[in-house]
Amino acid sequence: MADLVGIYAASHGPMIVRSWDVLPPASKHTLTTAFAEVGRRINAAKPDVLIVISPDHWVNFFLDNLPSISIGVGETHDGPPEPWLNDFPHKQLAGHASLAQHITEHVFNCGFEPSVSYKLALDHGFCIPLWKAGIDPLPAIVPIIINTVEAPFPSAARCFDFGRSIAEAVNRYEGSLRVALLATGGLSHSIGEATMGQIDEAFDRECLQHFASGDRDVLLKFLERKMPLAGNGAAEVRNWAAAHGAAGARGFDLIHYSAMPEIYVGCGFAAWGVDKNINTNK
Amino acid sequence: MRDYWLNRLFFDLQNPAAAAEYRADRDNVLARYPLKPVLREAIVANDVATLAPLVNAYLLRFYFLVAGMPEEEFLRRIRASGEQAHG
Repeated sequence: MADLVGIYAASHGPMIVRSWDVLPPASKHTLTTAFAEVGRRINAAKPDVLIVISPDHWVNFFLDNLPSISIGVGETHDGPPEPWLNDFPHKQLAGHASLAQHITEHVFNCGFEPSVSYKLALDHGFCIPLWKAGIDPLPAIVPIIINTVEAPFPSAARCFDFGRSIAEAVNRYEGSLRVALLATGGLSHSIGEATMGQIDEAFDRECLQHFASGDRDVLLKFLERKMPLAGNGAAEVRNWAAAHGAAGARGFDLIHYSAMPEIYVGCGFAAWGVDKNINTNK
Repeated sequence: MRDYWLNRLFFDLQNPAAAAEYRADRDNVLARYPLKPVLREAIVANDVATLAPLVNAYLLRFYFLVAGMPEEEFLRRIRASGEQAHG
């Protein structure tokens, strides 16, 4: 039987890599320390599989066909295509087709209709946290893309419920696996729009308080109301909402938060306790 | 509302070879896309304010990196586009 052994979240701004050499030492220290703590916890959980929920930044999908949710069911995934990520140590990442297919079937039975992809390229949203957190050895990856780059977006409530279904699917998987989940992106940031560079620290801190409170309805109402006002990158908090759902809205533990205008991102890092009461039907 | 071909151009330029060709011979690349004349002119003029409402913001930001606009200049122009939009 599979066990969900850890749930985590980390920001993923591209300038964490693109601008690394020119970041102030204090910023490097902050990012290094926060990513290292996320990585320490993931490594300690010893997952066989890591489900990673991230946006797709126009790598796999375009306006021709833009799924709200897509699950990577392939045996392997390509590494990041961004030229500035050439030093990422994996040109290919192992997938876990069996678990990915099982999750897909389970969430369909729960009323979700994600697309599936047998060949995804995992962009910086996936790979910066995997790289900077120092996850070693890298487990098999089940990538899940939630569209947070171009409207229409799934609601925060829908993402929360989807995350809960993922946790249920893991707990019902027949194989013996340790499975962790990592949500990437957020918190507030604004890219390529008139507010570019602004960080809504008030939004970020209130958002983190709502995650910590465990009050699902208050959090989701807050996100629906405030997320669209906190920059286009804040849409990625949907991934955190999915992680929160997987955790049963409990056990949120903030590892670090800093507004980091030098990389344009309100940077958040967190972990959740695992809700053993999520329906398993084992 | 998005302009498909404007977004398509910016999306395609994520390919490093396409970006290199664009920097070497912009007009030849633009000729392959059925862009509205006003948008083609806006691209040539680096008119961020005209392009911004019609293209995904991430692709817009990426395009001006590819096109070689300095970051500070892009920030100045994109922020000014908001001021224009709000009068």
